[in-house]
Amino acid sequence: MTELSLFLGCVAPNRYPGIEVAAKKVFSTLGVGLADLDGASCCPAPGVFRSLDKLTWLTLASRNITLSEKKSDDILTICNGCFSTLKDANDMLKEDPALKKDVNSKLAEIGHEFRGTQDVRHVVEYLYQEIGVDKVREAVTKPLNLRVAVHYGCHLIHPLKDSKLGLAGKPTFFDELVEATGAISVDYEDKMSCCGAGGGARTAILDATLKIANKKLEHMTEAGADCIVDACPFCHLQFDVGQAEINHKFAKNYNLPVLHYTQLLGLAMGFSPEELGIAMNIVDTSRFIEKVKMDTSENEVCTIV
Amino acid sequence: MSSNIERCYQCGQCTAACPMAEQEQAYKIRRFLQMEKLGLKSEEPMDIPFIFYCTTCYKCQDNCPQGVKIVDGLLSIREAAVRDGNILPAHRKIGQMLMDSGHAVPGNEEGKKRRLQLGLNEIPPTVASSEKQLNDIKILLNLSGFDQIVAEEKA
Ligand code: SF4
Ligand code: SF4
Repeated sequence: MTELSLFLGCVAPNRYPGIEVAAKKVFSTLGVGLADLDGASCCPAPGVFRSLDKLTWLTLASRNITLSEKKSDDILTICNGCFSTLKDANDMLKEDPALKKDVNSKLAEIGHEFRGTQDVRHVVEYLYQEIGVDKVREAVTKPLNLRVAVHYGCHLIHPLKDSKLGLAGKPTFFDELVEATGAISVDYEDKMSCCGAGGGARTAILDATLKIANKKLEHMTEAGADCIVDACPFCHLQFDVGQAEINHKFAKNYNLPVLHYTQLLGLAMGFSPEELGIAMNIVDTSRFIEKVKMDTSENEVCTIV
Repeated sequence: MSSNIERCYQCGQCTAACPMAEQEQAYKIRRFLQMEKLGLKSEEPMDIPFIFYCTTCYKCQDNCPQGVKIVDGLLSIREAAVRDGNILPAHRKIGQMLMDSGHAVPGNEEGKKRRLQLGLNEIPPTVASSEKQLNDIKILLNLSGFDQIVAEEKA
């Protein structure tokens, strides 16, 4: 059986652990093992730490990769930022022997060595390419009757641009995976644009980043979405915590529950909202949960009849 | 890795596509690239803190007719500014959290409660669970001088 190292990052395990649980449940249902990556640190975040000191960023990222090289087949990230950092660092070190030597001389101080034997994967891209939409659909036992605003996030798309997979051009892969759960992916203006949070901007200039998120929330609401589905705990935080901040600061009235894709798929596989931590958000999810429970029980009745 | 900003011919397509420029008039990616190209970076402290407003969304780069690696370019501009001591207090704080805990966003009480409710260990199976691993991180951070970068300014 394939076994991947689950790279948690910071925001998922420390703020939205429902995403960590959901990833494990979904992958075990699909027959792919996920091993904890003991001792992993911050990836470190691609915008902020890379701009403070690139070599530090690279050294810490490579340490995280070496932890996985010692145990599993590849690294699986559940966050766009972690994907961007680890994939970029992995590619840079594989391509540049001098840089690799430099980084390895630092890693030697703690008894690690970067060998370059692994690939860095993102959960959404992995499900699409390795499991496939059809298999994901087959694993769905409770089809969801939801209108979903899909948010790809910049650091899911950008790292895929250099690869030959053709996923980044006019991306539909995330929408296809969302629709495999029975949900509809709604079209909305500026769908491919940023949540506003990345690069250290959220902490440096919160209000401007909220104005960027506000535009997306406006368009998602206009499109009649029941929820937002993302692929990144930091976008998740910006839409969830940020939504409350926007409602408060800009006198808005948004109420869009935010789910990570693993949580959406978990629901469609029949796991309960409680097990998946769907309510562990700032935005009130009670009406959403009620709707999901009602819809799925109706669907079950239909299949029995 | 060179950022190839010498290819920039100042057309402004980057700023036109930038979501941060739409919100913050002082955020002008085209201008930062021009200053860098002319070698004027450190003489213009008025560009601090604005260079740190970029969300690294890559919209500018997608829109650039010259294929300039704008984000790499901006990140090096920032790195040089940080080396000159121009780090934002908010970013210094995140750097210190990384030094102290190995995480940019360390655990808090609410997070721990949520973990327990979900049947997970209160402390995630990361560097947060291991003194030895945290010590390894500190060794690496000190080796590359990161401790100095995020150290409090001397009064
Ligand atoms: S779009 Fe490209 S060429 Fe035009 S100003 Fe921006 S970086 Fe320079
Ligand atoms: S990457 Fe930065 S400069 Fe470029 S469009 Fe996004 S926010 Fe603007």
